[in-house]
Amino acid sequence: MTAPAVPLTVRARDVLVSEWTKLRSVRSTHWTMLVAVVTPIGLSALVAVTLANTPRNGPAVDPLLPGLLSLEYAVLAVGVLGVLAFSTEYSTGLIRTTFASVPRRRAVLAAKAAVIGAVTLVAGELVAFVSFALVQAVLSRRHLSVSLSHPGVAGAVLATGLLMFVVATMGVGLGAIVRHTAGGIAALVGLIFLPAILGLLPAPWGGRVGRFTLLDAARQVTALHPATNLFAPALSLLVLLSWPAVTLLVAALMITRRDA
Amino acid sequence: MIEVDQLVKRFGAVTAVDGLSFAVRPGHVTGFLGPNGAGKTTTMRVILGLDTPTSGTARVNQQSYHELVRPLHQVGALLDATALHPGRTAEAHLLSVAQSNGIARHRVTEMLQLTGLESVANRRVKGFSLGMKQRLGIAVALLGNPPVLMFDEPVNGLDTEGIAWIRQFFKDLAADGRTVLVSSHLMSEMAQTADRLIIIGRGRLIADTTTAQLIESSTRKDVLLRTPRAAEMVTLMEARGATVTKQDDGGLAVTGLDAPAIGDLAAEHGIAVHALIPRTASLEDAYLDLTGESVDFRAAAS
Repeated sequence: MTAPAVPLTVRARDVLVSEWTKLRSVRSTHWTMLVAVVTPIGLSALVAVTLANTPRNGPAVDPLLPGLLSLEYAVLAVGVLGVLAFSTEYSTGLIRTTFASVPRRRAVLAAKAAVIGAVTLVAGELVAFVSFALVQAVLSRRHLSVSLSHPGVAGAVLATGLLMFVVATMGVGLGAIVRHTAGGIAALVGLIFLPAILGLLPAPWGGRVGRFTLLDAARQVTALHPATNLFAPALSLLVLLSWPAVTLLVAALMITRRDA
Repeated sequence: MIEVDQLVKRFGAVTAVDGLSFAVRPGHVTGFLGPNGAGKTTTMRVILGLDTPTSGTARVNQQSYHELVRPLHQVGALLDATALHPGRTAEAHLLSVAQSNGIARHRVTEMLQLTGLESVANRRVKGFSLGMKQRLGIAVALLGNPPVLMFDEPVNGLDTEGIAWIRQFFKDLAADGRTVLVSSHLMSEMAQTADRLIIIGRGRLIADTTTAQLIESSTRKDVLLRTPRAAEMVTLMEARGATVTKQDDGGLAVTGLDAPAIGDLAAEHGIAVHALIPRTASLEDAYLDLTGESVDFRAAAS
């Protein structure tokens, strides 16, 4: 019996729709996204209040910093969500149903990354802009605020919104590589925070190594006044996006080589 | 149609499947039988493209699994009923699988009805019994209405009613012209379900036969005789060319004379007969005879 020809676009859509159903049909997704959206907005408001109440004669503070700082914790929540996308399927054995349904395993990887990437991108930008509005409202009372139309601000806020997407899709890749929840989360936390220690090396090594780390690249693209010892924001954006890209590439290479 | 040709699968130093070849044809329920660890699950995984064979091939409908487009329309399989996300509802699970192969939503509802799960469709599977999970797995396998079906130990966890249901179900699927491969480590189970048998041990093919042939070819047919005057009967029967083995419980296992002949002989000499039972070896015995060697070898090797 010959199977009817099914266009590749239709098959890609099938896998995307299936992964979307999987993502939205478990409660943990809803809880994680709630935490990932509410926590950073609340935190950034809190940091802004603290900033607004620090003495004027202290060092100049980046008015965009509160939004970024709060997100650094929220990204862990979505990173875990990304890891779980594969690790729960491997730990339950569901992955065998998935791969028997879609033998092109890289399509599954791409679909999971795309679905989680889309959700976290939308949520991330929402958090970034809401936090920005809230923080500037607090700071404006002390005349520390900047407006969105100020050069570089809109880009920095947009870049802040990218962070959840970056870490979540990296989590998807790590989940596929490590295949265990605890191990995947450990790898994620390790890749985000361990290299950041290298950024603390004495100058000039701190900057030379630090500019390749995820956290420094993130600070650089989201700062109103980028540091001079790191890559320029455009290049830092590339570094930032390379982390999930390389992780997903490694996952794509490994996913077809191992028995499910 | 499933064709396995010279299949070898090694995991490090362990050879799980060792040069296995067989074909599973449409229109029959084929039992895939072997002791635990014989390589049944590994073979099924290779057929589904989940494990890469060390050498050899497995093909479904003349294609390797990776070549299948929307494979659930061609092959339905239940490997492990517990392989579910505990937090997902039965319906969401089925829907996600259906969508991945472009299967219409109404099939999800139909499969829930067919497997008797409609009332629990919106419950999270973490509360499901093993039997309910088996039914859900069967629903998944049938989603794409495939001509080839594989079930790995599907009877585990089912109650008596469920077992009766699933046996009839397999027969109906085969009567429909489908290829049905059902694995089990229990011969008694397969005897009531399968009409063809593929028996493996230690990753090798032991027998590829029909259930009827296997029973027929089993050599152990005898008559059990119980009588208070056993010694006299032994002499009489042996004089007529019978071979008599004395059992531990005092019964006599007789070959070479059938039950009526033994009865007549006893009556002729006025000997009381307490029991006279023609016995054929059960399928279980035939199976143990076949696989015994492969099991023994493994026990000795480990």
